[in-house]
Amino acid sequence: MENKRIIFSEALERVRHDILAMSSLVEEGLGKALSALQNNDKELAKTVREGDAVVNTMQLTIEDAAVILIATQQPVARDLREIFTILKITVNLERAGDHAVHLAKTAIKLSGKASFRAMGRLERMVKTGQQMIRACISAYLKQDAEAARQAAAMDDIIDGEHKKLSEEMLRLMKKRPELLKKALRFLHTSGDLERMGDHITNICEAIIYMIESRHEELNE
Amino acid sequence: MISTEVLSGETLPPQEAAACGENPDLGRNKVDVKDLDFFYGDFQALKKINFSLARQEVSALIGPSGCGKSTFIRILNRMNDLIPSCRVRGSVLLDGEDIYGDMDVTELRTRVGMVFQKPNPFNMSIFDNVAYGKRMQGLRSRRKLEELVEKSLTRAALWGEVKDRLKKPALSLSGGQQQRLCIARSIAMEPEIILMDEPTSALDPIATGKIEELIGELKMDYSIILVTHAMHQAARVSGKTAFFLLGELIEYNDTKTLFTNPEDKRTEDYISGRFG
Repeated sequence: MENKRIIFSEALERVRHDILAMSSLVEEGLGKALSALQNNDKELAKTVREGDAVVNTMQLTIEDAAVILIATQQPVARDLREIFTILKITVNLERAGDHAVHLAKTAIKLSGKASFRAMGRLERMVKTGQQMIRACISAYLKQDAEAARQAAAMDDIIDGEHKKLSEEMLRLMKKRPELLKKALRFLHTSGDLERMGDHITNICEAIIYMIESRHEELNE
Repeated sequence: MISTEVLSGETLPPQEAAACGENPDLGRNKVDVKDLDFFYGDFQALKKINFSLARQEVSALIGPSGCGKSTFIRILNRMNDLIPSCRVRGSVLLDGEDIYGDMDVTELRTRVGMVFQKPNPFNMSIFDNVAYGKRMQGLRSRRKLEELVEKSLTRAALWGEVKDRLKKPALSLSGGQQQRLCIARSIAMEPEIILMDEPTSALDPIATGKIEELIGELKMDYSIILVTHAMHQAARVSGKTAFFLLGELIEYNDTKTLFTNPEDKRTEDYISGRFG
């Protein structure tokens, strides 16, 4: 009779399901924060923090489950690599969630409408970040290293927008010093979203390690 | 002919290498098994096994029951000779010398010691258990025997616990102590290789931990082959691990590699517990 390690496999499946749920919450938080920023909706911005508290709790719950699996099931080889990947996914998703909170804080602090062009760039960064999260978690669940590489490649879009937005804000600060504070806020927010892209790239690297057992530096 | 690599990249036969001041054993494996087939009557228990054991190395053998790992280590000191109808094909070299050739079996078993799954001390005193083998070889000097017993028991990490009761029966010791006594008895013969067939499967975790630490110590002086069903024991104590399945050696690799990134899917399935 073939032994499929049912107890371990079922526990792992539950953890995978929790990771999908956690990633959906981070994605949702980013969407809400963007919407709050675009519509100057401070109430919506406040709900992002509440969602992030749930994300933080999920991180701990998933990590506890992973530690229990190591202690009780003694995984080795690919199973062990998956547990380490799970720990990397949760820590990086949690950081991505923090960036959604930073974006929401910007929405709360920003008075008046932001420039159309800057807002357009932030929107593209956030939406690309959401797509990256969806694509990398899908790559994890399908065990698809190539899909993880493709997900990480989207980070170029975020980096490109960040670079352009930074240049525009620097020009704006020189040209209109009275807008310095607002421009700085946009600059910080853009920097946050750029780092969020790096966190998702870290997840993609962990997925490749899990599948191929080698360390691959993406987006160097 | 076995030759020894020298720094220049040239090779010299061992005798010439020794004459030039080179250690003839340098770089040579302790054990080399080549294309080994083993049969119990018509049943082929091992198929084309190629295996080597370096000096001062611990190799662990893992695999499901009946895969041939115990048969394999018994071949290394010719214990299977006692079983009628068994047949060996291929070569088993100890320091380059075929153990199924002209080598004297008693000498072979002195050089290749064995520790079994269940501690099996003789029904005599602790002292006599350790001294037994050398006495059989004719060693009579009380002083030399005492030195041998102390050294062997110390080496087996048992001296401190038994030094005041060497005359007591060995069977009065706990299971873990009995197993270390068996290791001391094996060491007393000054072997070059120690074969261990599931040496901790009958022991509690504390005694197991002591034996595992001891294996780590012993590898400074001996080459060790350990058969174990405890996968994590193989991972903890060995430098190389061999995975046997249905009489074949499926994978023989560095332990770290085998337990993190095995090359063969069957190895991965077995160590991950998805095989049966």
